[in-house]
Amino acid sequence: MSVIGTDISVSIGRKPILHGVDFAAEPGEVHAIVGPNGSGKTTLLRALTGDIFANGRITLSDRSFDRKRPWEMASIRGVLPQVTVLSFPFTVIEVVRMGLEAGPHGASPEIAHQALRDVGLEGYEGRFFQELSGGEQQRAQLARVLSQVWEPVQDGAPCWLFLDEPVASLDIGHQLGVMELARRYADRGGGVIAVMHDLNLTAMFADQVTLLSKGEVAATGEVANVLTDDLLSAAYACTLRVNMAPSAGKTFLLPQTAARS
Amino acid sequence: MVAETTFAPPTDRGAQAWRLHVVLWVLVLLVSLFSLSIGAAGAQVRAGLMAWIANDKLDAATRLILFDIRVPRLVLGLLVGAALAVSGGMMQGLFRNPLADPGLVGVGAGAGLGAITAIIIGATLPPFLINALGNYMIPLAAFFGGWGSTLILYRVSTRNGRTSVATMLLAGIALAALAGAVSGILVYMADDRQLRDLTFWGLGSLAGATWIKVLTAGPLIAVAILSAPFMARGLNGLSLGEATAVHMGVPLERLKTGAILTVACATGAAVAVSGGIGFVGIVVPHLLRLATGPDHRTLLPNAALLGAILLVLADCISRTIIAPAELPIGIVTAVLGAPVFLWILLRRRGVVDL
Repeated sequence: MSVIGTDISVSIGRKPILHGVDFAAEPGEVHAIVGPNGSGKTTLLRALTGDIFANGRITLSDRSFDRKRPWEMASIRGVLPQVTVLSFPFTVIEVVRMGLEAGPHGASPEIAHQALRDVGLEGYEGRFFQELSGGEQQRAQLARVLSQVWEPVQDGAPCWLFLDEPVASLDIGHQLGVMELARRYADRGGGVIAVMHDLNLTAMFADQVTLLSKGEVAATGEVANVLTDDLLSAAYACTLRVNMAPSAGKTFLLPQTAARS
Repeated sequence: MVAETTFAPPTDRGAQAWRLHVVLWVLVLLVSLFSLSIGAAGAQVRAGLMAWIANDKLDAATRLILFDIRVPRLVLGLLVGAALAVSGGMMQGLFRNPLADPGLVGVGAGAGLGAITAIIIGATLPPFLINALGNYMIPLAAFFGGWGSTLILYRVSTRNGRTSVATMLLAGIALAALAGAVSGILVYMADDRQLRDLTFWGLGSLAGATWIKVLTAGPLIAVAILSAPFMARGLNGLSLGEATAVHMGVPLERLKTGAILTVACATGAAVAVSGGIGFVGIVVPHLLRLATGPDHRTLLPNAALLGAILLVLADCISRTIIAPAELPIGIVTAVLGAPVFLWILLRRRGVVDL
């Protein structure tokens, strides 16, 4: 019932991006993919979702991954891209309803409104999507994806969220809100795979982390075993120290110490 | 991305669109009656029409004018207007660009090349062939030209079962330029009478509508219009991008193939029987998006009706404004359509990606 990628290699043009990546994510967990710019995080996610051609074997819940029956995939898997460019003036609720009607809950229109409440966009239903700010657009898209696979477990099988940098354009309050949504989805039995830039949020919310470096897996496993001084310093090419506060008197702010009302 | 005017559309534009659908059907009926009642023959046909509606007998002349001239012309106008508007709406959805038009993918250019070839080379065909084809030689050639060019274009822009919309647009421009060049060579070879034929075909007209033309173009256009709603949900998904459409369960390649064939069918058939009628395919979907939003499930059926209404009205103008002569309908749609189009752009340029 897991997402498994074995020996994934991807080349874009002649440039190899991923070399022999093994990846496995389990339902009930938030699995973060981290790594420096250009390490292949988004490419790995796009290979796992079937957006790009990848050598190797990728399965979702024991089903081989192909594009032949996209409507079946849509009922068990929602994918949030980094950026969505909408080409016609749909309103926010119309965009969210598109996701709802693509999944198995199309007959329950109230889910679209609940999803908008969950991402903090209540009252935005009638606004034009294109008039929203970048962060609001990203949250509206998340509401669309959530409506599509609203129940984390559907007919006894887990559903999946694939999120590409879900919090990249959000303020810290909404970052926490979105990550809590992902956390709850996993706690209720669904699977979440997220490409993450923010290592603090990764440490807070992820169960498993895969650290990519130069198109290969540098480490994978539980947070404490992957987010270590040595592994991070090597991958990000700078000296990093985990769990060390800055020298006294310097201001710093961590999402871990935020209190959410 | 800041809009000049912010206004909140009602949250349920879908219900509004279906109400508009009913209104448009009523308008189709009214416009049809109006179209049948006006024309060169004037009042006696109107009286005859009223009598016929009142279940009286018609005299032979009125019957002839009504059922052999005006009714086929009306039906052809409805079909062509619906076909142009629906293919415009579908093309815009497929290309994710509200300014896309069937003309862009080479259907127009290919159809034009077909017609020009028929007008100029056709005269050199063996007489029995010319007699057999009769007046249908030009429409048939235009239809095959438009269809063939779209199929070529589709093959060119499809790799490994995937169509790149950007490649297709650019290839469409190249193909249109090539078709234009070949047409230019043919025009250069044409004599004065052929040049006159070319000019009138290019302006577009519903004159000379016959039941045979209706039966030639009608089934193709009907199939295209009836299959359009089945692609509406896919086109909605496509407005979020190809990858997202697939993730929302849209069978992307099947959708693209279907949309291209539908558009080629409808536009090819429409251009074949009516020549170059512009602006319907761009103005009608635009007006409907402004009124009830871009949801293709309502946009496409409503576009068919509004396109039919507008084209029949334009035809009424074209055959009465300089009666007893006729103004080519392409001129009417351009004169009416172009300012409306500019007005839409100016008024709503605040809303991005209209």
